[in-house]
Amino acid sequence: MTDISPEMWAKVPAGEKAAPIPPPAPTYGQEVRRRLWANKPAVVSIVFIVLLVIAAFFGPYFSPHTYFKQDLKLANIPPFFETYAVTDGAGETTRFFLNASNFNLYEVDAEGNMLGLLRGGRKDMIKKSQPYEFGDQTLTLDYSKLPVRLLLEDGSEVRSSGWSWNRTYLFGTDQLGRDILVRQLYGAQISLTVAFVATLVNFFIGVFYGGIAGYMGGKVDAVMMRFVEIISTIPLTLYVVLLMVVFDSGLLSIIVAIGSVFWVDMARIVRGQILSLKSQDYVAAARTMGASPARILTRHLLPNSIGPIIVTLTMLIPSAIFIESFMSFIGLGVTPPLASWGSLTSEAVETLRAYPHQLFFPAAAISLTMFAFNFLGDGLRDALDPRVGR
Amino acid sequence: MFTYILNRLGMMLVTLWAIVTLTFFLMHAVPGGPFVSERMLAPEIAAALNAKYGLNLPIWEQYLNYLGRILTFDLGPSFKYPGVSINSMIAAGLPVTLQTGLLAVICVVALGVPLGVIAALNRNRWPDTTVMFIATLGVAIPSYVIATVSIYVFALRLGWVPTFGLDDWRGYFLPVFALSGFWISFVSRLTRSSLLETLEQDYMVTARAKGLRKGQILFKHGLRNSLLPVVTVLGPVVANLITGSFVIEQIFALPGIGRQFVLSITNRDYTAIMGITIFYAAILMVMILIVDLLYVWLDPRIKLTKAAA
Repeated sequence: MTDISPEMWAKVPAGEKAAPIPPPAPTYGQEVRRRLWANKPAVVSIVFIVLLVIAAFFGPYFSPHTYFKQDLKLANIPPFFETYAVTDGAGETTRFFLNASNFNLYEVDAEGNMLGLLRGGRKDMIKKSQPYEFGDQTLTLDYSKLPVRLLLEDGSEVRSSGWSWNRTYLFGTDQLGRDILVRQLYGAQISLTVAFVATLVNFFIGVFYGGIAGYMGGKVDAVMMRFVEIISTIPLTLYVVLLMVVFDSGLLSIIVAIGSVFWVDMARIVRGQILSLKSQDYVAAARTMGASPARILTRHLLPNSIGPIIVTLTMLIPSAIFIESFMSFIGLGVTPPLASWGSLTSEAVETLRAYPHQLFFPAAAISLTMFAFNFLGDGLRDALDPRVGR
Repeated sequence: MFTYILNRLGMMLVTLWAIVTLTFFLMHAVPGGPFVSERMLAPEIAAALNAKYGLNLPIWEQYLNYLGRILTFDLGPSFKYPGVSINSMIAAGLPVTLQTGLLAVICVVALGVPLGVIAALNRNRWPDTTVMFIATLGVAIPSYVIATVSIYVFALRLGWVPTFGLDDWRGYFLPVFALSGFWISFVSRLTRSSLLETLEQDYMVTARAKGLRKGQILFKHGLRNSLLPVVTVLGPVVANLITGSFVIEQIFALPGIGRQFVLSITNRDYTAIMGITIFYAAILMVMILIVDLLYVWLDPRIKLTKAAA
């Protein structure tokens, strides 16, 4: 600072403007980032997807339950319930709740932790009732008329002591007594893995195919694109189904089946981009300098068409999630006891009448994820499009 | 026009041949024969069965036989239900699938287009935001979620419609709603953006300057031009409605082809899987051809011969 001459510090006379210093022009990447961050739904979607991925891959480690452990005594437990308390002559209080769909009583503590199934006395099949003994007190569960009633010895109904959350199984359990939350997280893990890997496979095939077709041009291009045209008239979902039948269900085969089929759009877009870019001067320059076609393709053409490629990629992910859950729903996806959103939904449909809460979680999870990827795709498309803004 | 249709039909035959070949060899790549089950068959019975269905021949001969039968529109017998042909399976399921599918297509056009027009004409006001909000929901929620949730709400909770089957006219509501939900949203979004673009065109200004009536401007100049992209997606719409029917027919227990297809997958009835796939593919290609011809009729600017080249 000492080498600045004193006159530089002199005050600018009034009325004379200081020379404006323009800020450095933002790069393309900075522009894209600025536009993307300005798009609120897209930002919320990114946050949601990141949280979902973290929860899906690390969440199961923090749970005492596993996705495959069954406990038939604690099947179809709801995530929240109405508790009752009974105090016997000795002053012992038992808290429990009634599962109105399977007529069982479950003991819980004051915080809502599950203690287990209460064993009742002999069922009276004719009167449709079952006695439960608590010390010297006897309660009668009367299921001759719906809704089920809990009667004291004098015939009056037991009063509930309020609603409580299920602290042991936060989302409840399914029909085999497995924890729904953990299965949900594992399902997310599998659905997301399938979607990401299959999309990546599609990406490589599509970029490779479209890149070659676009760069070579002429006859090669015509033949390759005719082939793509034929493939795109084939209903692709049918082919995923056929491939799944051939491979037998499983995680790897569903990735291969989805990954090998949906690259057509990507190939078309890459080809279109390359066709319009390859007559640019910088490509001619690279060719004169003796760059090989592979180098021109990977170093010059593909990086310049990255925008549409990324948008297609983000749009491929939700459709891969959708196809995977669709396959699992009709029983062609992952094998039990593994779970995915599709198989969780189809399991929940079986018990829809009695336990609708089992449908809520997988349905909400898949819908929210589809939302997030759709918003992110829209946001990216707007942000990457150089025609907008600037 | 005529040469164009011929050309397209030729392309269709090539594609169909590719599909037949692909499905045939895919199904023959499945490990184990069609008669492998928990009950072991005596070798003589297995040999007799193989001879009856021509499975003892070399694979290329089986392939040629299959191709020959397809040419006479015979999809062969089912391996799981003796005496039932795939043709009769399809004939039994087709009316149901066609009914629900057609109703869904009608819903898509009759609801999607007007909703999109309303949204575009009221840009950024409440009708627009409402329609676009619902359309965003409809695009993101998978059809089987719509189906199961609507069963719970409308059939189990409210009891307005039956949970399954088509015995009652009210039984059509939920399957058609679940089938068309995504595409109604998609078409209304497409119509909105396309109409907004058309409204900015110079010829719209001209039409207004000529003092034409509002309705005439909107329908004759605006809608006709902005519906072209909508017509282009109708081909894929039909395709997706048909494949979407697998799950919907399964959920609502409708005895259509989609349910038949899912059943034959779980039964591993290979000839049925092959036959129904080929049938689907053929129907789809015919539909796409029809849509393309419709497109030409709507937009006289398109030259068919150029498109075919």
